[in-house]
Amino acid sequence: MLIYLPIAELSVNMFIIFGMGGAVGFLSGLFGVGGGFLLTPLLIFSGIPPVVSVATVASQIVASSASGALSYWRRNMIDMKLATVLVISGIIGSSIGVFVFDALRRMGQLDLIVSLAYVTFLGLVGGLMLAESIRAIINARRGRPAPLRRPGQHNWVHGLPFKMRFKRSKLYVSAIPIVVLGTGIGFLGTLLGIGGGFIMVPALIYLLRVPTNVVIGTSLIQIIGTMSVATILHAMASQAVDFVLAVILMVGGVIGAQFGARIGQNLRGDHLRALLAFLIIAVAVRFLVGLVVSPDERFSLTLLLGGGL
Amino acid sequence: MRRLAPILALAGLLAATGNAAAERLTVALSTPEVRIDSNFTGVPITIFGVIERDAQTVSRGGEYEVAILVLGPPETVVARRKDRVLGVWANSDSETFLAAPSFYVVNATGALDDLAAEPLLKRFRLGFDNLGFRYDGRDAEDDPAAAEFREAFLRIKEKAGLYSAHVGGVGFIGDTIFRTTVWIPANVPVGAYQVGVYLFADGAVLARTDESFSIAKTGFEQFMFTFSREDSFIYGVMCVALALFTGWLAGVIFRRD
Repeated sequence: MLIYLPIAELSVNMFIIFGMGGAVGFLSGLFGVGGGFLLTPLLIFSGIPPVVSVATVASQIVASSASGALSYWRRNMIDMKLATVLVISGIIGSSIGVFVFDALRRMGQLDLIVSLAYVTFLGLVGGLMLAESIRAIINARRGRPAPLRRPGQHNWVHGLPFKMRFKRSKLYVSAIPIVVLGTGIGFLGTLLGIGGGFIMVPALIYLLRVPTNVVIGTSLIQIIGTMSVATILHAMASQAVDFVLAVILMVGGVIGAQFGARIGQNLRGDHLRALLAFLIIAVAVRFLVGLVVSPDERFSLTLLLGGGL
Repeated sequence: MRRLAPILALAGLLAATGNAAAERLTVALSTPEVRIDSNFTGVPITIFGVIERDAQTVSRGGEYEVAILVLGPPETVVARRKDRVLGVWANSDSETFLAAPSFYVVNATGALDDLAAEPLLKRFRLGFDNLGFRYDGRDAEDDPAAAEFREAFLRIKEKAGLYSAHVGGVGFIGDTIFRTTVWIPANVPVGAYQVGVYLFADGAVLARTDESFSIAKTGFEQFMFTFSREDSFIYGVMCVALALFTGWLAGVIFRRD
């Protein structure tokens, strides 16, 4: 069934878009990630303009993160103080992100920078994740226990000034790395149409030593806050948030996520992480191919004024 | 006044013979307004025309030829070319087209070159070669320096179904009634569309007439589009509210704990 998207100004097959939302939702439920890094590229590759894809996925991420955050909220698995600091810095990053996004769009370099950023960050995170999970799988095979991290363990991050106390996480750390992390992920998320949970969660665990039981809930709150602001800023700057597209993606996404989460419970953590790493690397490779292979059409048209306006 | 008199007389004579000798065109469109709603996937517009003659109309040796032009609202478009930079393909050169038709269809009974000479075709913008593109920062129309971008523009527009030229696209039903069908695709820009109908014989224009139709979003689509442009902040807040609501609803419906 074809449906007309009022902002993207083209008609798409509703079931294909719904299916994409559902499939990405399934994977995000399975791996416990937002799935923006999969959904945005899928939309771009299926012919939705990159500007509309990035801006609309921002609102979809809010929906999928909100449904996840609710269950962590009920179980009191969120550090609200840490989340607040992250959200505030995320909003700063997001504002810079929207500004850069709009400037790049005007210069005609948005697609290039988005592709390069996807290759770099997804390649890096996917590679690290794969190496870590393979090590864990090998250790498990040989019957060696995974190296334990004691709560007292410190690294260079804990020597920084401006310390803050986070009671729920039982942490006393400098605000600097938290603000840098929040700003950086807010910036990247807005630019790339991703929530950034797959960067935020490992960073909170390995860099700040936040206890694993509050990490995901706290990260989800940060994503909701940052992506809400990103949606509003995108709606104001590029006016490219497509309401109809967003609704289809949200409904597909939240349903898919439920099935994914159920299946995810029956899989081992290190296996899940290895699968997710492969998926992330696959998306990075797809972008790399797009950058390197000679395009069929070297020219592109961008509307500046008139026509549909 | 005395100097004007012969000119006025001549004009009067021309007008009189014009009325008596020339054909007149009457044109009708199947759809005066195209409405875009949620299941809009494109629509055909049929243009009918009648050539009216009377007893005084001179008989012609050649056959009638008709060209029908449909022009969409003008738009400013930047065409960019990708080049290999440090191993990756990146946009480099660009050319900005000023007030280019967003939609352009020319259908005719025969090849445009057979209908009339180039100056006449250029004047009426009949045919891709006679569009007279203007570029930002270039004075000359159709500056040859931008030829590469011009070709790319036409190629991409044609592929998107927004530009087309169809020889034989206008058919005669009987001697004086003709018609053509123009496909309006789903990705069509909204706005006011011009239809020009030109009647040729022996390389000369006998008559022309202009019509217009509009393409507009309606109902929900129109509301959302206007909303997103005029109250973009509220629109953004609404999208976030919807997202939070959807997420909350899903969390309640699928509650597992």
